[in-house]
Amino acid sequence: MIERRDPAPPPTPIGRVVATEQKPATPHQFHFWTANETSIGIGAIVRVEETGEEPGKGEGGRVVWGVVTDGFAYSDLATPLHDVVGAEGDPARADESPTVRQEIRLWTAAVLRQQPEEPLQPVPLGRVHVATDADVAQALRMDAYLGGAEPRGIPVGLYTSGGLEAPVYLDADFLLGPEAAHLNISGVSGLATKTSAVEFLLGSIFEHFPPHKGRIGAVCFNVKGPDLCFLDHAGSLDEEDRRRYERLGLEAKPFAKVRYYAPFKSDGVNLNTLRTHRELVGAVEPLVWGLREVLDYAEVLLNRDDIDAKADAFIDFLSDRVVDKSFDDGFGGTHRVATFADLERLFRAIFDGLELAGGRGDTWRTHHIATIRKVRNRLSNISTRAKGLVADDGPSSDLPWGRFEDRTVYVVDVANVDPLGQDLVFARVVSKLREHLERRDLGVDAVVVFVDELNKYAPADGPETYVKKMLLDISERGRYLGLVLFGAEQFRSQVHRRVVGNAGTMMFGRMDSDELATPGYQVLSPATKIKLATLPIGELMVRHPHFTQPIFVRFPRPAVLRGRDGVERFPPAADLPFEEAVVRQLVKLDARVRPNLVKDLMADRREDDVRRALALTRQARPQDVFAHFKKLLGARVAAAPVPVRASVPPLNPISDEPY
Amino acid sequence: MSPPSWVDAVLAAGAVPASSLPDASLGRTDIEEFTGADPVEDGQLQVHPLGEAQALTPRAVGFLDGIEHWRVVGYAGVTPIVQAHIAAAIRRRGPPPDRRPRTVAEEAEELAITRLDLLPDAVRRVLEERRVRVVEIPREDAGQPARALPAARVEVQKARAALERGVGERGLAALGAEEWLVVDGVISDSPALSAHPRVIGVVKSHGAQYFEGAELERALTLAAGHRTSVFRPTPRGARREIHSWYLRLWPWEGNDLLYGLVRVEARAHRDTIALASAVSAWLLRERAPLAAPDRRWDRLLYAIHDVETYLSARAPRDVVSYPASRLPRTGS
Repeated sequence: MIERRDPAPPPTPIGRVVATEQKPATPHQFHFWTANETSIGIGAIVRVEETGEEPGKGEGGRVVWGVVTDGFAYSDLATPLHDVVGAEGDPARADESPTVRQEIRLWTAAVLRQQPEEPLQPVPLGRVHVATDADVAQALRMDAYLGGAEPRGIPVGLYTSGGLEAPVYLDADFLLGPEAAHLNISGVSGLATKTSAVEFLLGSIFEHFPPHKGRIGAVCFNVKGPDLCFLDHAGSLDEEDRRRYERLGLEAKPFAKVRYYAPFKSDGVNLNTLRTHRELVGAVEPLVWGLREVLDYAEVLLNRDDIDAKADAFIDFLSDRVVDKSFDDGFGGTHRVATFADLERLFRAIFDGLELAGGRGDTWRTHHIATIRKVRNRLSNISTRAKGLVADDGPSSDLPWGRFEDRTVYVVDVANVDPLGQDLVFARVVSKLREHLERRDLGVDAVVVFVDELNKYAPADGPETYVKKMLLDISERGRYLGLVLFGAEQFRSQVHRRVVGNAGTMMFGRMDSDELATPGYQVLSPATKIKLATLPIGELMVRHPHFTQPIFVRFPRPAVLRGRDGVERFPPAADLPFEEAVVRQLVKLDARVRPNLVKDLMADRREDDVRRALALTRQARPQDVFAHFKKLLGARVAAAPVPVRASVPPLNPISDEPY
Repeated sequence: MSPPSWVDAVLAAGAVPASSLPDASLGRTDIEEFTGADPVEDGQLQVHPLGEAQALTPRAVGFLDGIEHWRVVGYAGVTPIVQAHIAAAIRRRGPPPDRRPRTVAEEAEELAITRLDLLPDAVRRVLEERRVRVVEIPREDAGQPARALPAARVEVQKARAALERGVGERGLAALGAEEWLVVDGVISDSPALSAHPRVIGVVKSHGAQYFEGAELERALTLAAGHRTSVFRPTPRGARREIHSWYLRLWPWEGNDLLYGLVRVEARAHRDTIALASAVSAWLLRERAPLAAPDRRWDRLLYAIHDVETYLSARAPRDVVSYPASRLPRTGS
């Protein structure tokens, strides 16, 4: 799968290992010097050769690969005062000395690999060479997964140093499971690195996912702006980017299959996304959930103070005994609860019934009225705050569970959704993925879930929310299922340590100095930290289970249209009037639909009825869309009014009801 | 595996191992006596300020220096067997803007210094069979350890001086038209060096005394940035005629009379007199960078120090003296 090139002629040594009592060579670290003018820098990979024929017998032949972690320069100047004296106190004269002092470029390198690996010995005092492609593969132990009958390499970028450029691959078994899994990427915002890196890597995964591992898809949550809204459109690449794609064995092209999902706005007909340009909006599917979908994840909606056995029991009761069943409320009414509106009618019936019931008016079916009111409050709260995502009435519109397609990106755009709604979307989508992957009926064998702003969903401190617990569960057990978390955040230290700790692969873009001062970065040398603090766009530091030290790689710009460029090229359309929006959705389902007929049909109809009919039509996808829509709209003109019992005053008002 | 050295062979032949390290090399010293000099620039030795002097700016400069390291490696009876390493090199700087010296000539030699006829046959045969040059100390010094070691030191110094001289003389052939050669020490011991128009010697030691009375006082109390008149030291022995003058590199007040004082040697020619101030001003520029931490930094040009550093770095480790104790060896 990778191009094996003939080894180049032995390069000229660029340095030599030195060891002193103060700075000895050890099995894990060594020091070497180079000429003052050298291409070596922090992050460079070098090869040390011990002269001799018999490796492992103290007779030479040992080869060691290392990565430069620190650099020193000094002259034979014993004290700065000597320089002052030599220049007679005039800094301008310091450059006039006819001879320059002897200087050294001394480098510290961390051992990546030794050959032979046993016995593990201090690094020999040998010649130092710049690494070649083959050296990089050996040093990073990529040889274990690049060759053989079932190669598993996923190109992640190019190692570049000393004029050399070598592809770096990740092991699919350790990036996507089952050996290890998950990727975490950190970096300051605004440098187009985190999202770009994930987009590039997803493309690389789709192109190089080993056939023997089956089918793979990706679910990306777009949580800010238009970041992920144009993955199916080509972005601009320069020649250097194209050359890098070629070097990595990748095609520079946007994702072939992308499915977009976005909730409606509160009007229930205009999509709540920035991908609303006339040419693109047709490819966006609405994401609408009803009572059943929300009730299964009601725990997401409950804050820490709410969580108690009583509330749980009542939610379970609703879920098991009430929803989608014919149910007698005990006060003479029979309900069939399928929507939030149905549920609200049930709650009203219960409250009214209890008020009329006199002495036993604080309990209904063993559930205290305060618990019932609390649950009602939370459920109605989500239908209000996430109106457009959660439908009071009507059917849901969801991701294609069980019908996921290979090499397809499913973008769930929740950028403009209330945070509570985002939590709900995230919890439900990931939970559903897990359920289907456990049953092996999702349609793909592995799914990459990309979550930006991970510090928001799995913060290092704060309450134990449902979402955090779920992320922990994925981090710790997802790899066995093929559920792989790609998380991104600005500050890794602010993400729960078990979430980042379970990420087998870590990437670091440009880092904030304060962040680098936190304990999580203590293993990095000061020079590596400086490099991280000044990393240019398109360069990352990568840690991977096969790499014993972090490696810097460059990656080309993703071949997709960047969010900001996409918004300029495809400006979001203004919200359509209700009638126009309905017409557009019907036309999208059936091009034969005539707008004027639809508008005539909607005249004098309540918007809720129209929305309900539209949702059912969308769900049914009939042959004759207009006829179906017309039939639905005619079948239910108005929802049944809630009976008003104004003539009977409450007998036992609950004075201490907290809601 | 490398073959055993001549030292190992000598010890195997019966010499008793030793590890005596002499005091650090003192370098080539000048003659320690009054020799006299004739004035050639002024009637009497005068002081010339260099403040207005236009410094010579050679396009490229070679710097010649040598080193010596030696140690007693064994005894045959009371006759010492000395291992010595001598080396010399020219490191060339320039042309501008290159300010980094690079080696253009280098020679090194290992010597065995002893008295062959006082050695047992087996040890002597080893030395004769091995490809090491044996330098013999005088018979009258060899029997007394107190005299044998100073005699060995003299032989090492003579060998080193000869090696330096040879490297310098051979280096003249490669000297470009606008290129100068600066020698660490005297040049009057070499006909070729002492006659060349672009060779100067910079002498740091002042054992030889060329003046007395007021002239001596003027020479030794020279202010920084000043030189004396050019004079001609009285030739002695094999020494060739040269011109010379004193130059003060750093103020001596607060130190001692010889602090920062060097004596410059150049060919005996009237052009030398004309160039004395320009050469002196050039050498003043060579004060920077300081040759510190070398103890002789006040008189040692950095470029000469650089040659020493280079040669010492390349010297065999077993003859370089380390400030380590000589505890009895353990069995391991």
